[in-house]
Amino acid sequence: MTAPTAPPPQQRAAAAAPPGRTASGVMRRVWTSYAFRRILQSVFVIWLVSTITFLLMHFMPGDPIEIMAGRLNSAGMSHDQALATAANIVNYDPDASVWAQYLDFLKGLVTLDMGNSLTSPSKTVFDHVMEYLPWTLFAVGAGIVLATVIGLSIGMAAAYRRGSAFDHAMTSIGSFLTGVPNYILIAAVVVIGYTVLGILPFLDMRGRVTAGVEPGFDPVFFGDALYHAILPIIAFAFTATGSFLLNMKAATTEVLTEDYVTVARARGLKPGRISRSYVGRNAMLPVIPQVALQMGTLVGGSIVIEQILDYPGVGQMLMSAISDRDYPVVQAAVIILATSVVIASLIVDLVLVKIDPRIKTEGQDA
Amino acid sequence: MTEPILSVRDLSIAYRTGRKESVTAVSGIDLDLYEGQSLALVGESGCGKTTLGLGLLRLLPNLGEITSGSLTYRLKDGSTQDLLAMKKEQLRRFRWNEAAMVFQGAMNAFNPVIRIIDHFADTLRDHDCGDGKKWTKAAVEARAGELLETVRLDPDRVLQSYPHELSGGMKQRALIALAIALDPKVLVLDEPTTALDLLTQRSIVQQLHELRAKFGFTMVFITHDLGLAAELADRVATMYAGSIIETGSARDIFYTPKHPYTAGLINAVMPVKGDRPALESIPGFPPSLKAMPSGCAFHPRCEFATAACQGERVPLELLTERPQAMDHAVACLHHDRVRLDRKHNDSPKETSRV
Amino acid sequence: MTAIDAAAVTTPHKQRGETFFGRLWTGLTRSPAGFAGTLLVLLIVGFSFIGPLVVSKDNPVDATNIWAEPSAEHWLGTEYQGKDTFITLVNSGAEPIWVGTLAALMAVFVAVALGSIAGYYRGRIDAVLLQLTDVTVTIPQFLLMLAVVAFFENIPPWGIAIVVGSTMWAFLFRSIRAQVMSLKEREFVEAARLQNLGGARIVFREILPNMAGFIFVNFVISVNQAIYAIVGLFVLGLMPSGTPNWGLMIHNSWSQNFYLNPVTLPYVIAPLVMIVLFTVGLVTMGRGLDQALNPRLRER
Repeated sequence: MTAPTAPPPQQRAAAAAPPGRTASGVMRRVWTSYAFRRILQSVFVIWLVSTITFLLMHFMPGDPIEIMAGRLNSAGMSHDQALATAANIVNYDPDASVWAQYLDFLKGLVTLDMGNSLTSPSKTVFDHVMEYLPWTLFAVGAGIVLATVIGLSIGMAAAYRRGSAFDHAMTSIGSFLTGVPNYILIAAVVVIGYTVLGILPFLDMRGRVTAGVEPGFDPVFFGDALYHAILPIIAFAFTATGSFLLNMKAATTEVLTEDYVTVARARGLKPGRISRSYVGRNAMLPVIPQVALQMGTLVGGSIVIEQILDYPGVGQMLMSAISDRDYPVVQAAVIILATSVVIASLIVDLVLVKIDPRIKTEGQDA
Repeated sequence: MTEPILSVRDLSIAYRTGRKESVTAVSGIDLDLYEGQSLALVGESGCGKTTLGLGLLRLLPNLGEITSGSLTYRLKDGSTQDLLAMKKEQLRRFRWNEAAMVFQGAMNAFNPVIRIIDHFADTLRDHDCGDGKKWTKAAVEARAGELLETVRLDPDRVLQSYPHELSGGMKQRALIALAIALDPKVLVLDEPTTALDLLTQRSIVQQLHELRAKFGFTMVFITHDLGLAAELADRVATMYAGSIIETGSARDIFYTPKHPYTAGLINAVMPVKGDRPALESIPGFPPSLKAMPSGCAFHPRCEFATAACQGERVPLELLTERPQAMDHAVACLHHDRVRLDRKHNDSPKETSRV
Repeated sequence: MTAIDAAAVTTPHKQRGETFFGRLWTGLTRSPAGFAGTLLVLLIVGFSFIGPLVVSKDNPVDATNIWAEPSAEHWLGTEYQGKDTFITLVNSGAEPIWVGTLAALMAVFVAVALGSIAGYYRGRIDAVLLQLTDVTVTIPQFLLMLAVVAFFENIPPWGIAIVVGSTMWAFLFRSIRAQVMSLKEREFVEAARLQNLGGARIVFREILPNMAGFIFVNFVISVNQAIYAIVGLFVLGLMPSGTPNWGLMIHNSWSQNFYLNPVTLPYVIAPLVMIVLFTVGLVTMGRGLDQALNPRLRER
């Protein structure tokens, strides 16, 4: 697009289409279409993961019903009764064809009926998973927020002081945190803090809340829940902090060489404004998608973390479901966890559209 | 007016290239600029003209450093100040208010994530001198609209746009409008028309003419485009390898260049765009900053070079003295042998204005 | 800014007359941290693969001598069955390392193959592959692995490597593609294209050799990421394993609550230390090499 020699303003406005007030309707449509494409993609991923779990269960060696029945049988149930209970808890007819089973399964997904739990057959697996999910999401979410705040601010500071001792120290810490698996780091924290030094009251910090504290909307409960979640939160923050720090440093370093930063300095803008709305805002853009990516890694990793820290979130539940051969619960937990990750990254991406005006137009020509 | 608005003395700028190494990009620049004058700094890429331009506002990148000299400005209140002695906050207030700069490649001059109007708002608000006037949203919109109209942009269309929604020419105009937002007395323009198509170049040049007539600011513009220099400048300084090698009125430079390099530039086809075509008549390439030839830096490429040229650095020699620093001066031992090959029939100003 | 020198038209890696390993060596010596990281990695790989050949494999259960303190006979003491902890540790590194390396090789191989196709040919196939990676990166990989091992018990380690590798390639794809796209514009590739050398030949002979350093750095980083997933599965006790390994040691310490008892410290801490050292080594090596081999990141 090139501007001819100063045409009358009105004519120009008409020629060069997009923004301004007149075209706001068009822009909104483009935005919704980008959002729409993103939502479609998310639905596709959820469908894909669900189908994979369905196929895994279908093609697993042995018949899942038999295996679950065997489990009940060894727990003291009669053979026929065990078989009936096992067949009853899945949300499809075990004797139907694969396609009928698959359709049943998909229908169950949409209506949130994914069968019942083997260990307590009267409870639906959805309710069962939902009982544990908030605790995990709370810890992961708090960890991400903590990591974002610390990682972005230190990363930016390191880029401003590039080459200084502060930069070297922070970059080393950042690579250390991203490199070492978070469950190893938190295991080391527990062993050193509790077993070796005896300064970390680890035994009290396990579990969700201290015995005797009743759930409710009061500060005592929230304080106690936070106290118990501190170690998981730190564990989740470890890897994410390192990765955000390094990414933010790289992004800031790059943005600092941009023309618009030099121009902003030439314009005599206040240093605070330059670092906030010129450097910071632009440097954050490539880092935000990282937040979405980290979320998937963290939720997956939460299973190991919860095991190490004895935190009864969805990960621990999943582990006991695996050892109980409670397949409907395993299936539901994987699908629900994957869904929450996909939704979280969808939200992050839609927020990004709000911050970066250029994405809209990219969506347009795709 | 007896006192120059900007006075540069013995300015040298170096870039650090290693822990203890550095290369000198600009050395020993002396320059006086009087109010209302317009000076073109011409030369090939890498001759140090952009570095000098950035140096004039102390805007060098982190690795660049002013190693010696002084930069004295006469401010709006009539006092004179050495830019190099200014403290951070003082320097911040000086920039854009006293001297503004229009950058090469306005493509990236605007913050991509905020609207054009926010750029005006930021600039106006951060230079609010506490004279009681508050830059409310409406006030910013009025002022920015007025400025955009000066450069023939439609405020309704441009103000609420994001930078990527504007064409290159529109961005360049918007940047010029932003540059004059605080009524600066000095305007430094670094390749203001490079990277624009021909028609847009023409209209920007036209614009600059009008603005200069209207506001009367002093201009330094940096270009490798001699046509542009011929058109906009009353004074021209040729730079080669970090030094000014010839300076004079536009007439001196274009009709009777006395440095073989200047003559070579003019002999080459008046370039439309880019560096290379212009240099076909000058053999060889500019020297690397790391391996500067002794004596006159141009001697390896010069048809008139003698042994004497390789000895000591050749200082500027005054040829014709005129008031207000319009003197014709050249740094060449053999300036009396330099002739233009081609005869220009008309004044270059007139030809290019058709 | 000066001449387009004639030499630039020949392939850079040949022109300098250096082999890939030559450049790797220069890269390493140029970065002290990278050198230290590489040493650390080599040390642990040596410890885990050569160690078992040197140290006696004989590690009997001895119920009379459990949780013995470190001594001249048992360097790190003994564990819950009275086995020697040091011998267990020496034999514990091989499995995670080779499974991680295999997974990373797979991921890099797939990423390079698809990335070069997408970056070189662009167009429709590029768009399809981009869409595919967009989907793949949103799949929580660890969950998928967990589902696989939960339903398929007794899955062999190489099977896990395949699962890990097939979820990891997407993270590399974009950067490989971008590199191929930028190299494609360089003069020497342009020259090869003008000679009609054919896509495959240009990619394999001209483009990929010039990305060798970049690919190697990504491989090192991928090994680290694969270790995260694989050791995690071992820690959860979800992988059957005939041989001892770091993850299994941690699993034993946690599932039986040994880690709460100071007596067990050598056994509990040893695998943690090994993993920390190995992953730190990999990361420092990767970063050091990246700075040395990838001029874009070098200080301006």
